[in-house]
Amino acid sequence: MALRYSNCRNVWRKALELIKELDRCTGTLPPYNSDLVSEVNNEIKHLIESNLEDARLDEENRSSGDVSLLPTIICRHSAIARNFRCLLAYHYNRLRCIRTMRWEFGGILPPDIKENLSQLELEWFSKYSNSLAQYMRSVGEEGINLTVNLKPPKSVHIEVRCLVDYGKYEMNNGTIVFLKKNTRHFLPRLECEELIRQGVFEHVVS
Amino acid sequence: MSLQLSYSPNYFSIDDILATQERIPCKFSVNVPKLGILNPSSDEKDLKAGTELELPLWLVQGLSTGRQPAVVPELPNVYKEGYREILKADACAVDLHKFNLYYYEFGSYVRNFDRKNNVADILLHTFTTRFRHLMDLADNTFQDPNSIQKLDMLERKLFKEANEAKIKMNAWLKNSEAPIETAAMVMNHRKRKRVNVE
Amino acid sequence: MNNMDIDHDLNNLLEIEEDEEDEILLSPATLVKIIEEAWLNEKFSPEILPNKQEYVDLLLGQLAAMDDNLENASDRDIKKGVHQLEVDRLKFLVCSYLRTRLEKIETYIEHILKQENERIEKGEEMYLTDAEFNFANNFKEGVDKHFDNLMGIHPTMPISWKNQIVQPNINSFVFAKSKADIESILIDEGNDDETVYVNKDSQIIISYNSVSNLVKNGDVQLI
Repeated sequence: MALRYSNCRNVWRKALELIKELDRCTGTLPPYNSDLVSEVNNEIKHLIESNLEDARLDEENRSSGDVSLLPTIICRHSAIARNFRCLLAYHYNRLRCIRTMRWEFGGILPPDIKENLSQLELEWFSKYSNSLAQYMRSVGEEGINLTVNLKPPKSVHIEVRCLVDYGKYEMNNGTIVFLKKNTRHFLPRLECEELIRQGVFEHVVS
Repeated sequence: MSLQLSYSPNYFSIDDILATQERIPCKFSVNVPKLGILNPSSDEKDLKAGTELELPLWLVQGLSTGRQPAVVPELPNVYKEGYREILKADACAVDLHKFNLYYYEFGSYVRNFDRKNNVADILLHTFTTRFRHLMDLADNTFQDPNSIQKLDMLERKLFKEANEAKIKMNAWLKNSEAPIETAAMVMNHRKRKRVNVE
Repeated sequence: MNNMDIDHDLNNLLEIEEDEEDEILLSPATLVKIIEEAWLNEKFSPEILPNKQEYVDLLLGQLAAMDDNLENASDRDIKKGVHQLEVDRLKFLVCSYLRTRLEKIETYIEHILKQENERIEKGEEMYLTDAEFNFANNFKEGVDKHFDNLMGIHPTMPISWKNQIVQPNINSFVFAKSKADIESILIDEGNDDETVYVNKDSQIIISYNSVSNLVKNGDVQLI
């Protein structure tokens, strides 16, 4: 079948690149792309300006029954809405990712992850972190930590393998264990869960 | 996130944004001043009536509606009769991924440009026919990469979920214990670090 | 988790104060069953359900007491391990339940707050607990502020992001079990207004929308 239609030129596509960037890295957060964000913002600005100008012209033309500018305005408006949607979705999905980090890394992010967040995102993270902590404190009489107890337990003690040279670790009952890389331990599950989540231990399931 | 979301594309959905970028062949019925830039085969300032271009869906949505639609959209080839016949004959054998990455999602928009409802019918037929096949695929511990390659994005998601559920089920039947896992993001963070070191 | 054998030495009976004069007695096993059912319903329903704060608080109180007892128990006591496991299981249950609710609040923040504010206006009972409502408002404030900061550079923007509301798909299908004989469930509302009769203990796959009220009043359990 002969191609009758050619592709329209690749204009107004920068914002989509932001979305593709997120789509490529599920499970991690790519560095905040402030350059591309500001390029998209500039494009939006230009489109808005051109449309405001043409809207004025269109109004003048209309008195003489001329509506020829209307499709131009609609086109640009669609492009503004599209850019806007991509921009919002980019930031929205990043926030979703950052909130998950609060649950997985805890209230303090590793420095190299922090680098990937914009200043505004860091502010959002700390606010989120605080509201979550505040909520967890207010549940029941004594508060509750919701970031643990993620899986239904089967036994009180579990076998774990230490993945890093962690050093001394004091358990709730005061016992001190020395955690060396590749050593195996049989410990209370409650003590281990957070360390497993943080990648210090690996849960050995026979 | 463990929250199971049912399929409902929202404003922020990455998949929906990508699906609405897919293109639809359109013929311009009016001149569009100042936007000649859209046409790659002409350097004129204005876009002339009669120009035929493939436009992304999000642009077509605004232009094809209203009292005086600026463009007349056509069905993309893979939703036309020829391709529909192929799907009717043996939907399971088709490489849907090649038809369109977002065959169903894009199709659910495209069907609005089809007054005879043929597109809606074929979407439903294709999905229901292929679904059983998809579940069989997900049930197998051995996976044929060729078959997975032929799935569209929605099917791939379903496949992934079903397959993960199957693996968890098997593990649970074996040990009846859910291992505590390193958090996904912590895991990825570590992998990346390792790559950087190497 | 059906063999919920709560430590009987602790408390044989709990009391819930409904009204001053009207006290309901609740056994630990019943309490655990209520939380289990709430957990499953919350897990499988697309929308957020009315909170069960009084029961959650009761269970948390119980757990705290059991924790104290366990701490004092001798390590050599064989029963200690069993009790500890029981406590851990219940903690998982409560945590998972509360987590699911928070995730829904975050995902459907605008939608849920809108509904809650309508409930306040109408004087109806709220679905969120005070703490959840507080969290929701903080969360919304944070997101609003973030987007306002980002988009503030376009004062003449013809489009607003504030009306982009993420809504749960209440027409999604769920597995459900009826806990009572139900005269008629309306299916496919609007089209044929077809109804079905459902026997007690039968299991069905149905659009959530058709059973949402029955889930809330306890006639139907999501599974």
